[in-house]
Amino acid sequence: MSSDHRFALDNCIKCSICVSHCPVARVTDKFAGPKQNGPDLERFRLEEPAAVHSSIGYCSNCKGCDVACPSGVAISAMNCRAKGEYVSLHGASLRDKILARVEWMGKAARLAPSLVNRLAGFQPLRLLAEKMLGVSAVMTLPRYAEKTFLELYKSKNIDEKKTKVLYYPGCYVNYNAPEVGLALAEVLAHNNIQLEVEQFNCCGLPLITNGLLDMARDQAKNNLEKLQGYINKGYHIITTCPSCNLTLRREYQKLFQLNTDSLNEKMLDAFEYLGMLLQQGKMVARFEELPLRIGYHQPCHLKAAGCGVPSREILQLIPGLRVEDLDAGCCGLSGSYGFKKEKYAISQEIGRNGFNAVKELGVHQVISECGMCQLQIHHLTGAAVYHPLQVLAQACGPGRWLAK
Amino acid sequence: MMNKYADVLIIGAGLSGLTAAAKAAEQGKKVMLVAKGMGAVGLSSGCIDLWGYNLKDPNQVCQEPVAEIAGLCTMNPQHPYARLQDVLEESLLFFRRICHENHNPYLDNRGGNWLLPTALGTLRPTYLVPASMAVGDLQQVSCFLVVGFRELKDFYPDVLVANLKKSGALQAHCRLNSLMVSAGGGELSPNTLAHRLENPRVLVRIVDQIKPHLLPGAVLLFPPVLGERWDSRVAKNLAENLGHPVYEVANIPPALPGQRLQQMLLHHVKGQGVEVVIGCTVNGARVAGKRCTEVQATGAGKKIRIFAKTVVLATGSFLGGGLESEPGKAWESIFRLPVETGREKWSARDFLAMEGHLFNQKGIKVNEYLQPVDDQGQVIIENVLITGANLAGCNYPIEKCGNGVAVASGYKAGKLAGEAGE
Repeated sequence: MSSDHRFALDNCIKCSICVSHCPVARVTDKFAGPKQNGPDLERFRLEEPAAVHSSIGYCSNCKGCDVACPSGVAISAMNCRAKGEYVSLHGASLRDKILARVEWMGKAARLAPSLVNRLAGFQPLRLLAEKMLGVSAVMTLPRYAEKTFLELYKSKNIDEKKTKVLYYPGCYVNYNAPEVGLALAEVLAHNNIQLEVEQFNCCGLPLITNGLLDMARDQAKNNLEKLQGYINKGYHIITTCPSCNLTLRREYQKLFQLNTDSLNEKMLDAFEYLGMLLQQGKMVARFEELPLRIGYHQPCHLKAAGCGVPSREILQLIPGLRVEDLDAGCCGLSGSYGFKKEKYAISQEIGRNGFNAVKELGVHQVISECGMCQLQIHHLTGAAVYHPLQVLAQACGPGRWLAK
Repeated sequence: MMNKYADVLIIGAGLSGLTAAAKAAEQGKKVMLVAKGMGAVGLSSGCIDLWGYNLKDPNQVCQEPVAEIAGLCTMNPQHPYARLQDVLEESLLFFRRICHENHNPYLDNRGGNWLLPTALGTLRPTYLVPASMAVGDLQQVSCFLVVGFRELKDFYPDVLVANLKKSGALQAHCRLNSLMVSAGGGELSPNTLAHRLENPRVLVRIVDQIKPHLLPGAVLLFPPVLGERWDSRVAKNLAENLGHPVYEVANIPPALPGQRLQQMLLHHVKGQGVEVVIGCTVNGARVAGKRCTEVQATGAGKKIRIFAKTVVLATGSFLGGGLESEPGKAWESIFRLPVETGREKWSARDFLAMEGHLFNQKGIKVNEYLQPVDDQGQVIIENVLITGANLAGCNYPIEKCGNGVAVASGYKAGKLAGEAGE
């Protein structure tokens, strides 16, 4: 136990702000809440690591508790460790072991993506999967792309004079939504910047939230080593997924005590990077008119990054575009959480606020940085949901970035 | 490192910070609000206390708080209200207008204090209350029915009934009954219960359980869980379906009325274009001469620099981390502004001492423009304005003025920041 950690624990004044902002505890009593599972039981875990409550499985790791806490207690990290401890004591279900391996699933789906997509929509099979595995038969599954981002993206002839950045696409963009990575490349090319790619492991977040911490730690070390190599060469590292970003920069340090200082300095969300260019007067702010009114949903893990909404300032530069904040809190899906049979109803109940906000605003298109949030909002409302980069790419020139 | 630019930076998401953000944004300024966590207004009763008791006779509830505050300012020119008197009524109107626009009306008691029952059956003076808490004149009520939920800890109707009976505030023959109802089982936090009550089917079952126990003229008192959102219709629907007035009483945190107010204000300022960043800790500032030129913050390990023309310091007192202390000394945590300590004891012997605790009065001294000043009254930093619990000189738990000072000082800071030239 580091003195840092001890200090963070002692900071808890039991005010319950975290409980009152927990989206899961709001809709169900199956989760004892972030305070009880986190700082309350952590006191016992100082002596007895096995002091974990079975309700810890209901934590969705949205990190709303960390954001709400006015006393700087690392609540979600305590809960992640507790879940790890629980799983190491009681084991993980086959389903959780599968859902945690997002990278492995992506690779497996490569064999026949369109078949996988078709099977994912085949109801008898879904019912069987619900019965046998416990994967909800009604939740929309993410579709796999015909080709991965890494296959589709051809780094145009490397120009040594151009500024280069490295992209960490994450599993969702690589296997499911390559168009987001391509939109990033397009926007950067518009600004005369070249995107480079590399093979990475999954950031490990799905493993962490399913309690498989040892495996996540190994991937963390691999990723960090590779990223550090690029940082040493002076690269900025760009992400488009807020959850990957937060995991790499923050969780690696909080959960695995890895040094992420240089990542905190050099790893940027795509819009953070563009914002930096804008402030330095290096951004090509020539945009075509985009007469659209769209809703915006801020993912919990972007909120937890504590730096606001980086896309906001840049999207404001696009003529004709009106972005309306849904301001509806957590979407409820939280990665693999909402796909689990026993959590599907909870996930949908949490997402009701998002559903209501979309209806109240009367928007038919929504943007959000997180692939899972996109999926859930589409599942809840039927709205077309994009990454804000697709909107920006559309404003940069020709192309059909908003076609679906 | 990430840079952010704004006309006005508000540090803190409590009542004064949110009020300042709303007022500055209304005047067309680019406003950013950063806070380490959710502000304390969500832990408050949700009522706006202005001034509770008579200055001359502290056992008497104050009948005209605004007039009493005028007297206070002459008697005690060190009290924060002495810097806020010019905007006091204006700020309350502003606050009520925002609440009204967001379908969460706050009511006054014709210029006087409300005297509202708490969950313990004690009576508490307060100035503005959400409509769901505005139990009128207790003397006019011939019968109370206090309803509790089996699922909810921390609310015992019998305790409320027993103490309210003893209070002497009711008419001689007022009947007081209690009733426990079930909202579907389990052991629920106030938030989970409030969420459950938003379901119309659950509400019907509650109504069915209450109806057989209704006496003519009964006024119903509930724990503060009637609805999640600030524009919730749960209390109204209950009253309509029962045909009797329904009210929530104040209870210990986490209670919903304070959270509703917080969520409403956050929603309002976001709608006004304010960039709200919670989970971002301001840990330093650069001051050149008498001006703050830059504020340094960290959000989830990432460093951010914020450049703003005016900074509103709304970080709260010791509990919220706005003030820090060691034995014998105290200071403000971001700008290291001085906090006068004196030689007296900081706390009284008894936790609930009637004179309160001296540490609650610690804070930053300001001039009439809310700028921090030193012992000689000289401005320390010109473009930093101080609000709410950061201000020195008020003993809010005893005086019942915490949220009143927060609204008035937040409003004034927002107004001044909104008027600040280029």
